[in-house]
Amino acid sequence: MLTQEERPVLETPGEDPAPERKRPAFHLNRQGRAAHVFLIPWQLGFLLITAIPLFASLYLAFTDYDILNPPEWVGLENFQRMVQDEQFWAAVKVTLVYVLVSVPLQLGFALLLALILDRGLSGLAFYRSAFYLPSLLGTSVAIAILWREIFGDGGLINRGLALIGIDGESWLQNPSTALATLIVLNVWTFGSPMVIFLAGLRQIPDELYEAARVDGAGVIRQFTNVTVPLLTPIIFFNLILQTIGAFQTFTQAHIISGGTGGPANSTLFYTLYVYQQGFVAFDMGYASALAWVLMVAIAAITALHFLVSKYWVFYGDS
Amino acid sequence: MTGLDRRGFLKLALGTTAAGLSAAAVAGCGGSGGGAGSGGSGKTTLRYAWWGNNIRQQNYTKALQQFSAANSEIGIEPEFAEYTAFQERMTTQIAARDVPDIFWIASPQVMTYHKNKLYRKLDDIPTLSWADYSQQDLDTFKLGGELNTLPFGIFVPVIRYNETVAKADGVTFPAEGSGWTWDSLAELLVAYSKDNPGKRKGAAYLPDHDLTFEAWLRQRGEQLWTEDGKVGFTVEGVASWIDWWEKLRKAGATLSLSEQEGMGPDWALVGKKTLVAFGNSNHIIDDAKMFPKERFRLRAMPIDASAVDGHKYLYFPRMAIYQRVDDDKLEAAGKLLNYNVNTAEMLKTVRLTMGAPVNPKVAEASKEFASQDEKEMLAVVEKDRAAQRKPRYEAPPGSSTWRTTMARVCEEIALGRTTVPDGAKKLVEEITAGIKRAE
Repeated sequence: MLTQEERPVLETPGEDPAPERKRPAFHLNRQGRAAHVFLIPWQLGFLLITAIPLFASLYLAFTDYDILNPPEWVGLENFQRMVQDEQFWAAVKVTLVYVLVSVPLQLGFALLLALILDRGLSGLAFYRSAFYLPSLLGTSVAIAILWREIFGDGGLINRGLALIGIDGESWLQNPSTALATLIVLNVWTFGSPMVIFLAGLRQIPDELYEAARVDGAGVIRQFTNVTVPLLTPIIFFNLILQTIGAFQTFTQAHIISGGTGGPANSTLFYTLYVYQQGFVAFDMGYASALAWVLMVAIAAITALHFLVSKYWVFYGDS
Repeated sequence: MTGLDRRGFLKLALGTTAAGLSAAAVAGCGGSGGGAGSGGSGKTTLRYAWWGNNIRQQNYTKALQQFSAANSEIGIEPEFAEYTAFQERMTTQIAARDVPDIFWIASPQVMTYHKNKLYRKLDDIPTLSWADYSQQDLDTFKLGGELNTLPFGIFVPVIRYNETVAKADGVTFPAEGSGWTWDSLAELLVAYSKDNPGKRKGAAYLPDHDLTFEAWLRQRGEQLWTEDGKVGFTVEGVASWIDWWEKLRKAGATLSLSEQEGMGPDWALVGKKTLVAFGNSNHIIDDAKMFPKERFRLRAMPIDASAVDGHKYLYFPRMAIYQRVDDDKLEAAGKLLNYNVNTAEMLKTVRLTMGAPVNPKVAEASKEFASQDEKEMLAVVEKDRAAQRKPRYEAPPGSSTWRTTMARVCEEIALGRTTVPDGAKKLVEEITAGIKRAE
């Protein structure tokens, strides 16, 4: 596409160019106006559902607000309270461990499955749908029941262990293993990144593999020197999405711990703590401050990802 | 091409959008429910909000329909939710000033709503009768000296045991009286857990149960909350309670957290693994239905010889009329409250899941249609109601999460992550801090 500077200027021979009419700073032609008319529903939705609540929440973060009474300005008090709040730090720890462990595991598993499915299996559509199914179920109430049946005191795993003489305890009620069960749940819902990986793998030209084979590259070498480099934009995309999603994990922890974050805070995810403060303690000011800290943290980590991406993400045109 | 040019199309689009927005705005101004209030037909519509399980939802919906059928000038818009969701919805409704005309009050919110002047006074509504209540009853019902909420049930703390299993296993409970103490109960639970054919445990691990904890405190001269809205118990008081439970747990007389799948266990799960349950008197009605082949009995809480006078108490679930209710709805609202508490008709449909009737005449009348379990509950409440009782105070603003905090602390103690004294201290500090923030 030509830029504004590159466009040829059409002039009528023999005539002086017409004096340029000064346009107002904000000028829209008819098409522009039409576009804006059509955008009104979206703009209204954005304003009412996103922008206004967002800025209202920013204001509330600096107030003491219990919903029943008008907000009272308290300055930075809510943020200072976080520093002393043991529950806050417990929630930060749980969430960071979850993000750092579950995201790489989930992406690795999704990539592995995508590579297997990319090998021209018959019935690919079935497998793709079947593997995607857990992603749809991952945040449903049925999962709480399923997980109890698997990881509970008398669950599938303990019954299996009992066969070899091991008397296991509930994995969900042990603070050392409860978070691990949620990480397993997240890894199990690998369908979404898997589908994206699969689409990315399909974009890699066969000629590159042929060339690699001619040069004597084996399967592993082809994977590390062809697949991975060409898949880095997709890996990056999935990494960003899954990292943000992991920071915002709520439903699974809420369902499986009954909203408590137990046992002993071991599944107290950050968003669960925000919910507890906002909708159980009705401390909306503090909950808003917590939510803004999370948003800033996610923005900073995403920015860091982008910053580092130039060292490991390879785009076709670079 | 049709006759619609681009200008025409844009005008049409703009017009449609404007019309849609206007309609939405008008709808927004209309409040929820459409027909709420007195309509042109002269019918008054009341919004009635309550919580519970699906059985209670069905029963109350049916009872409210029966009320409407008998009072054709009054329509009811039911607003039901599960307990936690109910509280969340109430809070947002309060923020939007869109509160139901009549609503049940969750126990942690009683004084919070009172502080925020959500309740309309009830002693000037001609259709709501107070004639059956004694002056002592009315004084007990008041909040801050005002008769602005209506207790509609009575719970008392109880020990519930599985009589069928007890008989089969040869367990004899000490008779109520001087032999029915906390120590004798603990001994029984430990001995039973060590040797019974079904490998049951004495009880589930429930140190976070509020009513039984309050009974323990009051016997020791402490209370849950003070009249001026502070924590009414000491670190030593709560520590002694948790310690009693810890001794049971360590002796193998309670289920482990693993066996009961965490704090606040599901009765369907622990009912088949235990002999005794610590709970509210009204729970027998729904809980016993889960084990229809077994008979459950209720006992008053054990009492030590050192228990102070007046330790017995009654817990009232309450309902209220919204402060901003239209004056022309008051008469209908009074009728509906009357139907809730001053007649036995509604109870025949909704049963006694919300406790023994507060109205003494209704309580007496309900014995005629009460089931075996309901009679058991009525009897135990009647005894405590007749006993001498010191005043009891509701949870102050800022304490709404105290039970969650207590469950967390007890869990940490049971998991060996903190000691009983440290946990008790932490519990009192956290609850105190919450109340202070709300002041």
